[in-house]
Amino acid sequence: MIRVEKLHMEYRTDRGEVHAVRGISLDVKQGQFYTLLGPSGCGKTTTLRCVAGLEVPQEGEISIGDDLVFSSRRGISVPPYKRDIGMVFQSYAIWPHMSVFDNVAFPLREAKKRFSRQEVRAKVRQALSLVQLDGLEDRPAPFLSGGQQQRLALARALVKEPRVLLLDEPLSNLDAKLREETRFELRELVKRLAITTLYVTHDQLEALTMSDVVGVMDQGSIIQEAPPREIYQSPRERFVANFIGLSNFLEGRVKKAGQIGEVETSSGSLKCVLPDSVVPGESVVIAIRPEDVTLYADPSAQRENILEGQVEAVIFLGDALECQVAVGSQRIRLKLHPSSTVTRGETIRLELPQPCCRALRG
Amino acid sequence: MGALSRLHLWHHGVFLLVLSFVLLPLSFLILGSFSTAHLPTDFSLSTMGWVNYLKVYSDPGTYEVFTNTVIYVTGSVALGITLALSLAWLVERTNMPGKIWVYAGVPMTLAVPGMLQAMAWVLLLSPRIGFLNKILKDLFGPAAPVIDIYTLGGMIFLEGLRLVPTAFLMLVPLMRSMDPALEEAAAVSGARPFSTTRKVTLRLLAPGLVAVMVYQGMTALEVFEIPGILGLPAGIYVFSTKIYAIVRSATFMPVYGQANALAMVYLLIAVVTTYLYTRMISRAERYTVITGKGYRPRPLDLGRWRYPALGIVFLFLFFSIIMPFLVFLYASFLPYLQSPSVAALKGMTLKNYRLLAQYGEVGTALTNTVIMVAVTATATTLLSFFVSLVVVRSKFWGRKLLDQLAFVPHAIPGIVMGIAFFWVFLKLDFLPIYGTIWAISIGFTVNFLSYGTRSMNAAILQVHKELEEAAYVSGARPWRTLWRIFFPLMLPAFVGVWIWVVLHAVRIAGMPLILYEGPKNQVLAILIWNMWDEGYVGAVAAVGTLLMIILLLLTVVVRFAGFRRHAAEGAGA
Repeated sequence: MIRVEKLHMEYRTDRGEVHAVRGISLDVKQGQFYTLLGPSGCGKTTTLRCVAGLEVPQEGEISIGDDLVFSSRRGISVPPYKRDIGMVFQSYAIWPHMSVFDNVAFPLREAKKRFSRQEVRAKVRQALSLVQLDGLEDRPAPFLSGGQQQRLALARALVKEPRVLLLDEPLSNLDAKLREETRFELRELVKRLAITTLYVTHDQLEALTMSDVVGVMDQGSIIQEAPPREIYQSPRERFVANFIGLSNFLEGRVKKAGQIGEVETSSGSLKCVLPDSVVPGESVVIAIRPEDVTLYADPSAQRENILEGQVEAVIFLGDALECQVAVGSQRIRLKLHPSSTVTRGETIRLELPQPCCRALRG
Repeated sequence: MGALSRLHLWHHGVFLLVLSFVLLPLSFLILGSFSTAHLPTDFSLSTMGWVNYLKVYSDPGTYEVFTNTVIYVTGSVALGITLALSLAWLVERTNMPGKIWVYAGVPMTLAVPGMLQAMAWVLLLSPRIGFLNKILKDLFGPAAPVIDIYTLGGMIFLEGLRLVPTAFLMLVPLMRSMDPALEEAAAVSGARPFSTTRKVTLRLLAPGLVAVMVYQGMTALEVFEIPGILGLPAGIYVFSTKIYAIVRSATFMPVYGQANALAMVYLLIAVVTTYLYTRMISRAERYTVITGKGYRPRPLDLGRWRYPALGIVFLFLFFSIIMPFLVFLYASFLPYLQSPSVAALKGMTLKNYRLLAQYGEVGTALTNTVIMVAVTATATTLLSFFVSLVVVRSKFWGRKLLDQLAFVPHAIPGIVMGIAFFWVFLKLDFLPIYGTIWAISIGFTVNFLSYGTRSMNAAILQVHKELEEAAYVSGARPWRTLWRIFFPLMLPAFVGVWIWVVLHAVRIAGMPLILYEGPKNQVLAILIWNMWDEGYVGAVAAVGTLLMIILLLLTVVVRFAGFRRHAAEGAGA
């Protein structure tokens, strides 16, 4: 539904040229919820704005549905007001001089197709009830709370029933509790409407909980594109493993190649999942999540992937106990059940289950 | 970037328009200063030389003008800043009662045109006809000393008063942004209140204060009306009146090139001070001691000086606004000029007002003024808006240059701008502009463009860019976005600039006097000037009274609009 091909965008600032987007391609299927996730300045918002037509890239092609809306090669650049899109901005961009009703009616009144008074009224009512703002039609828009403004922005984006919905960090201005509720509501709503959605965020939790597909971006490129579970469980790059959740990284060299191979680290040899086509002797980084590391309590059960270390710090987090353990020259963080009785200075043995250890190219 | 910027054509259009409006008159001004022909129409590149410069700068009179100007500018700035600083300090830092009168009253004094204020003081203090001088003579006999307003001292006094409101408005925020803890630190170190003020408060204010002084100096240098009314009859010239005298000389064949040559110094001073001013402003901003602390320092207790302080404030308001109005109101009902007395009050008539209604030129001048002012205000507002739109919102290559071009007229005094346009309209005589009110409109529009674009830049920055973009993605075309988003959101800014321009265009006499041709393009300011010149004091008083009432009402509207805007912003936040 949204197809972006080899998009390049550079712009000039006071501090020189910025290459914001470097050859991004992506394909969002009909009805899919696609999220671009990355740190600020990675080019995710620029990409979204190119799809909206608010920025004009130097190179590439963008199509929405069957319509080619941008093509540097063919010299096509459709302005935003002729693209069939709905968009929610980070600031919500609610027009303060209009009522709630007028804000939502705006896209209908500006549309090429003429809507009758009754049609406008009916569609606005319907859009407002979708976001549970019924009965607030006559309220001046500035007299809404942050959460209501966010929903109003969504109603305005949906009222025209556009083919695609573009969301630019729509939850970042809400407080933590409201953000959590809205995450599920929003996901549920777009799924119910089956509208194709391109979502931009720097919040990994939003990306993981809401999306069908996540594209992790860094420095203008998409590094990994996969469903949330895969992104979290099998990151393909150190950046992804580090940006999404927490990871321990152990450096080492491949001792035995294969799907499940063996890597020699400074603290001992570990069995782990290897990337394709690595050869013995190649240097890799093993990533493992803190919650996957466990205490090795039962010596009879297993002999593999055991490391010994000294507890350096214990932090009580309420729902977990976070420990930092010095293993040789490296440090491993692990998350334990709060009832654990590990103390500082204690020497413990850790088990790093083989399926959770993923070697990444260093 | 917004879709508006895709239409690069209009960017270039705005750029070319401003470029030609600013650079065309300036080049004519400079070229004209070398012209040896008498009239701008005879100007050609073959008759060029240094004659004008030799003539002007070998004349000892020029150096007298220079001395006069220096005395006049320093004197009035010293007086104006002292008054404004005292007022600002009284309302911001002391427990003087009735502060609201200062906040409301001081800006109101802007509404009284300088020309009318000077005339009112002439009616009071002219050696021959002044009411006060006559009363002095009645009391002490014919040998009694007279107070003569037709002097440099008189000009300094009046221009000093005129500088107060703007200086006050610039100084109040400066004082407010100062961290009170710095003063409190001096106090706990053992400094007494007045030595804290002297050693800490004033020192901290210094960078900002110097910037305000330079700005006010530029204003004093440029003003034509005060030295025109008070200095010209006595033959005391400053720069602005000297240039006017050269062009509008009644006895000699005017030598336009010489006016240009003299204007060059003026231009140089203006450009240099503007440069220094902008540098100073940026430095002052760097040094500003701003903190986010919400609390105000405890005001200084004036003790038994509280009411005398308020008395001085009222004296200022009386001199600047109440007295001129009362003098005009009184004179407008008199059949002939006489000092206030019971007989005078009994003899009051509506004759002057009736005369206005019958005097044909008044009607024409009034129509001309309304058209000229409305066109100027609308043109300035719209042009400023589009210039600022390019400057603030586009990625147009020349947007910084455009911003600077629009600011250039700020440095050019109205009289000089008038002469520059005088050359343009006379030389480019295929444009039927010379001698029409459009000439005055164009001159004013260019002159006010700097103010307009500063206001609009700030106002457009207030409109979040996503508000505009949300309209595009909602399907609104650029002009629909202008109409439905920009215009309503910026209405207060539009009204503000529009009325500001009206208030200024209606009262300034300098540039219109240069571009004045005859009844066809006579506006109110020129009519008042001419009637005064010819001695129709009663008629001037009647017109002046009506004009002051209208301007005061407009000023009140501006203040009201300002308050409403603040209220709306408060609700929106």
